[in-house]
Amino acid sequence: MDNTYIPVQMKVENILIEDPAKTLRTFDLSFINSEDKERFKYMPGQFCEFSILGRGESPFGIASSPTEQDFLRFTVNRTGLVTNEIHYLQKGDEVGIRGPLGNWYPVEKFKGENVVIVGGGFAFTTLRSLLIYLLEHRKDYGEITVIYGARNPDLFIYKDEIAEWEKRDDLNLHLTIDKEVDGWNKMVGFVPTVVKELAPKAEKTWCVVCGPPIMIKYTLPVLVELKFPNDRIYTSLERKMKCGIGKCGRCNIGSKYVCIDGPVFSLEQLNTISEAF
Amino acid sequence: MNLLEKMFSSLGGQPMLIKQSAMFSFLALCQNESLGEIKQVILPRKSKVSEENYHYDVFNDNKEYVLGNYRCVEPIRMLYYFPRDTVVPAPEKVPKRIIAGVTNCDLKALSLLDKALINDDFEDPAYSVWRKNTYIISSDCLSISSTCHCNLFDEKPYAEKGYDLNLSQVNNSYKISVGSEKGEELLGLIKENFTIDDSEIYDQQILDNRQKTVNDLKKQNAEFEKKWKIDDLRQADQEKWKIASEDCIGCGACTNSCPTCYCMILNDESTEKQFVKVRTQDSCQLHGYARVAGGDSPRPKMYSRFRNRYLCKLDYMKTNFQILGCVGCGRCINACVAGIDQREVITNINDQTDN
Repeated sequence: MDNTYIPVQMKVENILIEDPAKTLRTFDLSFINSEDKERFKYMPGQFCEFSILGRGESPFGIASSPTEQDFLRFTVNRTGLVTNEIHYLQKGDEVGIRGPLGNWYPVEKFKGENVVIVGGGFAFTTLRSLLIYLLEHRKDYGEITVIYGARNPDLFIYKDEIAEWEKRDDLNLHLTIDKEVDGWNKMVGFVPTVVKELAPKAEKTWCVVCGPPIMIKYTLPVLVELKFPNDRIYTSLERKMKCGIGKCGRCNIGSKYVCIDGPVFSLEQLNTISEAF
Repeated sequence: MNLLEKMFSSLGGQPMLIKQSAMFSFLALCQNESLGEIKQVILPRKSKVSEENYHYDVFNDNKEYVLGNYRCVEPIRMLYYFPRDTVVPAPEKVPKRIIAGVTNCDLKALSLLDKALINDDFEDPAYSVWRKNTYIISSDCLSISSTCHCNLFDEKPYAEKGYDLNLSQVNNSYKISVGSEKGEELLGLIKENFTIDDSEIYDQQILDNRQKTVNDLKKQNAEFEKKWKIDDLRQADQEKWKIASEDCIGCGACTNSCPTCYCMILNDESTEKQFVKVRTQDSCQLHGYARVAGGDSPRPKMYSRFRNRYLCKLDYMKTNFQILGCVGCGRCINACVAGIDQREVITNINDQTDN
């Protein structure tokens, strides 16, 4: 059997700085070996272990969509040792990837029905993957609503794409920030409050929520209040997924491992396991 | 088949008896002269500082080795799944070795590790290479330690499967049972060099010895011996876990001494020339274990980490591997600096839930 601990070689093709403080950077990677590219099949919601030779390895959600063949995208918040190293990467540098790991948003189930995507901050990565995927298969899905919140206008990621999405008439995009700032003419308020205000209809609709734990915690009850059934609300959990293959143990919630049984769970599943948040 | 026949057949294969001295000479031959290309023999020796402890050690003619006692201080996991091991590049070749004096609790632990570390989706390269290159000679426990409690988990102090050879001591001899093809190989090696008697006359005595150990365990753990309800542990509320974990300092000695704990941390130690990945033993009892970047931790309080260990052993592992994660070896009780006895913890939580 192949040694599952060995990463696939990748090259940094492009780097985009997402915010003025330079804490968020987006990396587009390409496969060095074409066989690896052939073998690498993923779906929106999955993640990878991103490693820099000799520096370490961390899990990140895949921000590109499988419909985007040319690159594999990750957006990284600079917060610890490994992410710090990742931020030093230059175009052309070699990195390693293990994956794709975990499960994905059940896009097959969504077919023919409406989808509400609720995101917060830089956790919008796998939601971007999902959104691009849905837009690429636009006719397969009903109404698509996106509610995306950030602390301030600077902290939205993929700003250029957001501008594009705003122009589309087949997508309801609602942006919100926590506190009012000059020059902001869109919504103001925390994501759970905004979801409550907008009150997307629950009929024939699936909802995907991803963001900081505190946002998820307060958004889920709002969705339940709006009559979304528990098995139609999906979220992606964040845990320390060191190995990504259910062996290192630290991402467990009860007998489940977030890295192999998740990271995507329905609220129905979460209700059966305690200590999820 | 009547009961007696059944009991005898559980001793396995044809009856074979080897003198104790011959067995040790065989092990010495393997260690010193690489008999059968075996390069290393590991077996329990008496502790130099404590009458009560045995340690796995490499065979050396000058030390006092024992077969047939209760488990060693070190969990057998440490001989297969090292506290620190390189998994990339994977070890390709390791020397053949024998581990002797393995107790049934450790065999049970290995069967769980096998399920976790060698399966259809995954194979830990370092664990599996040692597993393939090791002969296991188990032995019946003729004595028990004050913390042994395998009987509370319906385990036996003697092995019925999972070994290559099993030794049941009787007088100055061992009755050999063969448990695998590797065991046949090993027996062939023994037969080439030493005399083996065909004798069944001691079978009853072996059964008596086993029963005596079982009785000792029952007596020792009588106060705990009641039907433990795992569901109660799962449902017990936070307060009970807070009380149970009051003395716990979160040092991780329990998990480090546990034969079924395999949680690890994966580190990158690459050089400029080579990609290197090292896994190191880790513990769910440590505060930083599950902490994510940014500082959040899903189990920030000691009692929640304490609870996680108990439920992992008694519930989660059972769910995931169909094997209970606790083999009742009692090492965690010995290792605990706060003197926490898991038998008491489980009993107390059960009691409180009953009320």
